[in-house]
Amino acid sequence: MTAARAPEPGSVQRGLRSDRVSGIFLVLLGLFIAWDGRVYPLGTLAEPGPGYMPMLVAVFLVVTGALIAAFGGKSELLSAMPWPEARRALLILIISAAGAFALERIGYRLTMIALLILFLGVVERRSPFAVVAVSLGFSFISYYVFATLLLVQLPLSPWGF
Amino acid sequence: MVETLQNLLLGFSVALNPSVLVYAFAGCVIGTLVGMLPGLGPLAGISLLLPVTFGLNPIISIVLLSGVYYGAMYGGSTTSILMRIPGEAASVITCVDGYAMTQRGRAGPALAIAAIGSFVAGTFGVIGLMLLAPTLASFALRFGPPEYTALLMIGFLVLAYMSGGSMLKTLAMAIFGLVLGMIGIDTMSGYTRFSYGLVELGDGVGIVPVAVGLFGVSEILLTAGQPMPPKVQKPTLRQLIPSREEFRLSVGPIARGSLLGFMIGIIPGSAHIISSFVSYGIERRISKHPERFGNGAIEGVAGPESANNAAATGAFIPMMALGIPTSPVMAVMIAALMLHGISPGPMLISQEPELFWGFVASMYVGNVVLLILNLPMVGLFVNLLRVPYSFLYPCVLCFCILGTYSVNSSTLDVWIMLVMGGIGYVFRKFDYDLAPVALGLILAPMLELSLRQSLAMSAGDYTIFVTRPISLTLFVLGVILFLLSIKPLIFKGKNWRAKVGLDAQG
Repeated sequence: MTAARAPEPGSVQRGLRSDRVSGIFLVLLGLFIAWDGRVYPLGTLAEPGPGYMPMLVAVFLVVTGALIAAFGGKSELLSAMPWPEARRALLILIISAAGAFALERIGYRLTMIALLILFLGVVERRSPFAVVAVSLGFSFISYYVFATLLLVQLPLSPWGF
Repeated sequence: MVETLQNLLLGFSVALNPSVLVYAFAGCVIGTLVGMLPGLGPLAGISLLLPVTFGLNPIISIVLLSGVYYGAMYGGSTTSILMRIPGEAASVITCVDGYAMTQRGRAGPALAIAAIGSFVAGTFGVIGLMLLAPTLASFALRFGPPEYTALLMIGFLVLAYMSGGSMLKTLAMAIFGLVLGMIGIDTMSGYTRFSYGLVELGDGVGIVPVAVGLFGVSEILLTAGQPMPPKVQKPTLRQLIPSREEFRLSVGPIARGSLLGFMIGIIPGSAHIISSFVSYGIERRISKHPERFGNGAIEGVAGPESANNAAATGAFIPMMALGIPTSPVMAVMIAALMLHGISPGPMLISQEPELFWGFVASMYVGNVVLLILNLPMVGLFVNLLRVPYSFLYPCVLCFCILGTYSVNSSTLDVWIMLVMGGIGYVFRKFDYDLAPVALGLILAPMLELSLRQSLAMSAGDYTIFVTRPISLTLFVLGVILFLLSIKPLIFKGKNWRAKVGLDAQG
């Protein structure tokens, strides 16, 4: 593997810029909102309908996104942006999504135990004793504090706990 | 004045009630912990505690949540000074000189000055709140939909003008928040917008899942995988005492920070964050030895810490008097009150004097509690920072799921939180400030309703906004701010924001 050559002083590096990318994303988002909101009556300037504000906001988003992209020529190169935590972040999001899916199906306590086992045991690779202690402790103590003492409604498992 | 004192006495009779005192203390302790923990800022902390307030009376609810808010302001400075990790966004600038002082062995005085400055500024803010809110509330009775429209518009312009990073990015995020705020049933026509067949979205997207996702989950995603926490200094009580010179140098910054923070707190935006940066910039500018800043100048701790606490208190004025949330935190506070059937606004102070004055008095009590917590007990709190982050973040994430779910007993809210966490993570990687998203989300329905009501009042005549004196004044102010906002784009050399250090932010 060859080392990347350092840019010459004063030279402009070519490539996609972060502000250009985010600006274009906002423009596309604005266009999508305008397209998606076309079903709502716009009304008139004097008597705005339910589609008026979404359209106005979509236009503003397109304009702002275009300005960000236009002025973003000197922003950081997309290829130079560091994403060292991205894989772990994605893994955390996927596990959390699984937790959201399971919450009302297997109940609060089992979901929390499963989530903490996955986070601590699989992602963080902590010792089995610590994983078991934290997952069981957190699950039961938080349930006791929130559901029993503070009467917050938390889902139960199909087996009644 | 006599009436104010009588009202304050009424307030203290409420605030010194043992049950209120206990919750004020609990709020301050939780807030200090929330402020210290990376990944949980005041907004996420308050949002997570919202379900807990369902079973409490409105006075206790607001006292508990506000205790968390200003407790987090105090707590955030501890990690900034000792570890160079800002517990919450307003403490970012404190890292610079606070941590430099720690490296020079002056962590104790830095913590003490931060706590004293926060106490002075917090107390100053409460006095301002006590004197200004009732006056503003009686004035606000003259406000109709056009005035509210003008006020909300000016809020967005101020947000762009005072923003920490790029103005365009701030505006884009506010507009993104407005888009989220459009989801749900349109109150004037009954149309359900952008709900994609999900019945639960009829009520719109809640502030709690958005706030917890944007500020809590995204922070966890950004900091995941960080190494073991660095060694933390634990100053003793004796080491906390600042020298006479440090005291002398801090008096001016504390006074200026209190006044500046309070004034910025009243206007919409991420007041406490902005105020700390502006205060730091001003202190550096007026200092005879600006070269000391960045190398452990006590003024760089005293000014910003005072400013963010004064701003946190000042933000309660428009919330209480006008019913307008000037920050996402205030929106959650309003939600907490509305859950109990109380609508903040011009009538609140006259209709609910016990709530308003009890709350004001509880803030005096809270400031004293926080001073006690943050000086002698700082060593105790520091122990929390020794828990490895790999244990801390899974528990914080589970709390996020628990808190978000329990607001509406809805898994859709948990999904929204996770989606917002992912979006927030990406936006932050691209240097976008997320606070305007939450603000836009809250202000969107208010702005749309007041705009359309104004036009209904005037039979579609847009001159209604310039024929009424208050809305005209507000719009003129808005135009001036807009022109000032675009001035740096045209005259690059005359950018005051860069001079006070706002452009240096993230």
